[in-house]
Amino acid sequence: MEKRPYTNQTTSGSNPDGSIRFQEQPADITPARSVNGHISVSRWVLLRQLSWYKVPLFFISIFLFILAITLMKEGAKGLIPLMQDGFQNRTPTNSLGFGWLFAYLIMSGSPVAASALTFLDAGVLDALSTFTMITGSRLGASFIVLFIGFIYVLRGRNRTTSLDMGLLSLIVTASTHIPALFLGAFLLEWGILDGFQLSSGVLLTGLMDAIFDPIAAFFLSFLPQLALFVVGLVIIMISFSLFDRCLPQMSLKESHVGRMSRLVYRPSIMFLLGAGLTLISMSVSVSLSLLVPLSARGFVRRENVIPYIMGAGVTTFIDTLFAAVLLTDPQAFTVVLVEMVAVTLVSLLLLATIFRWYEHWVLRSVAWTTANNRNLTIFMLAIFIVPIVLLIF
Amino acid sequence: MRILIATGGSEHSKVAVQMGAALAETVPLEVTILTVIKRAGQQAEAQRIVAEARQILGTAVPHVRTKIRQGKPADTILRELRDGRYDLVILGEREHHTFIAHIFNATTGDRIIHQAYCPVLIAKKAARPVHSLLLCDSGLSGPTLLDRLQQQLPELLQSNPEVTILHVMSQISAGPGVKGEQLRADADVLIQERSPEGDLLARDLQQLSQEGVSARPKIRHGLVVDEILDESVCGDYDLIVIGAHQGKGWQRFLLEDLMERIVLGSDRPVLIIQ
Repeated sequence: MEKRPYTNQTTSGSNPDGSIRFQEQPADITPARSVNGHISVSRWVLLRQLSWYKVPLFFISIFLFILAITLMKEGAKGLIPLMQDGFQNRTPTNSLGFGWLFAYLIMSGSPVAASALTFLDAGVLDALSTFTMITGSRLGASFIVLFIGFIYVLRGRNRTTSLDMGLLSLIVTASTHIPALFLGAFLLEWGILDGFQLSSGVLLTGLMDAIFDPIAAFFLSFLPQLALFVVGLVIIMISFSLFDRCLPQMSLKESHVGRMSRLVYRPSIMFLLGAGLTLISMSVSVSLSLLVPLSARGFVRRENVIPYIMGAGVTTFIDTLFAAVLLTDPQAFTVVLVEMVAVTLVSLLLLATIFRWYEHWVLRSVAWTTANNRNLTIFMLAIFIVPIVLLIF
Repeated sequence: MRILIATGGSEHSKVAVQMGAALAETVPLEVTILTVIKRAGQQAEAQRIVAEARQILGTAVPHVRTKIRQGKPADTILRELRDGRYDLVILGEREHHTFIAHIFNATTGDRIIHQAYCPVLIAKKAARPVHSLLLCDSGLSGPTLLDRLQQQLPELLQSNPEVTILHVMSQISAGPGVKGEQLRADADVLIQERSPEGDLLARDLQQLSQEGVSARPKIRHGLVVDEILDESVCGDYDLIVIGAHQGKGWQRFLLEDLMERIVLGSDRPVLIIQ
């Protein structure tokens, strides 16, 4: 059977919660056929054979994550004088802008969210400002896919094709997280979720202290406390990167699951799928990149993508929740829980009430942005100016 | 062509009968009018309904049979379809109903659409003769919509309507680096490039050409339901033809019911091929 000249893109890896590295390969979309000519399902391989080197890699990434949180927690105390000068009399709006720009700077959202929690733990930020900084981190992180698309545009690729997914990701994230900001502020103010706590347990905390405190003390012996935070930040980014490499590589040619890209699913199903895959991968960018191999041609239906991104936006906080548990700070846990609950409620409300209108609105916004260079420039300027304005005023 | 028109005497049902009369202008029909009553005491009312339906059909259909049955509407219509070996059933516009009702096929229309072995035509607003068809072929696995139409209602194509084969590409690029020229291409380019959509259109065109039916391919880009409804208005088609490929069992819980949304959103008749 003649092979068609499509290229198939697979993710060759992704940076922590941020940039996805695509690798173009000649696509083998020739369906496997049985004797009677029907498409066989046998060529779908969800998980390749387990690569054993990934097992220690997984434990190393977890070890580094906990170490990073410990170092950032200690380092944040050294940041208190510096940060208090910067944040004194500052509002939650400023921390929203700070988290947003910080995520741009390091091209990732999760380390920023973890930083916000260590600031809270060190008393640099209050709960509301921590909450807004985490929201800012998500808004900043959702820019990453768009940024990659923008690079492709500069390299001469089509504007619409390159930017669609990034714009969808950013607009859906913004349109769910910004309303959730107000809902979350209300939940925090009234302490509605304060009673829900999950601690790492005395034994586990003691064990972790016994392992990681000496390491932090070792670093402190030759580094200023301030530098500890930066070291922790670098380590947490490395840990996310390693964790991404632990994930099984998706391999798909033609299969029942491959049909996913050709069928139109109920929004609620795609919402759950996005939430589930992000829960496993702990990264929105990874779960978005999973959409690429799900279609042999790298195409997904418009109808399916928006609820998928909405679902991913909820469970992307799972690593931040883990960080909050590690910090053994009840307030930190509450902040992350409020973030997740608020985003979930807003998303479910959108799905249950005005989803069709919302879907059209998002797609119209994307179409407007990619319609011409002027609109794209306005949009790109806006997403840089807005966080700067939020940070300053 | 043997058709069954189910009528309950409502305005929607009258449109279904009018649709039968309009269809008879282009396709020779044997029509059976069926009214289902719940109690024996409704016999007189049923007689009035079938008489009215006969009057609407008038001289357009010379041979009309009428039947009055007692029972649950959906069960009775389905049984009649099975026993009478009809080629088509015409129903009035379906009522709006809840998600739960839809999931459990609780309405008459839903049950007939999902359980009938033959095509179902949902009459909408004013009926008119069928001179142009909008064939919405999704190209999913299995026999194409055209294959099924040719198999189930060959008379419809033999009446020489103008056919537009529509495929909606609602796909977007899943990642920034994906080459997506085909996501913006029109029908001619896709056929030339032998993309899956192009192959589908080319195959349908060839099949229709062999039947002597004039047809043109069309690709639209956007949300599936929106584009189908928009095209049906822009092209002023007399009939939208879609497939009932929503899936069975657990798939009904996973897949969006596009057929339902097209039927509800359309202002013109919709033919659902099984």
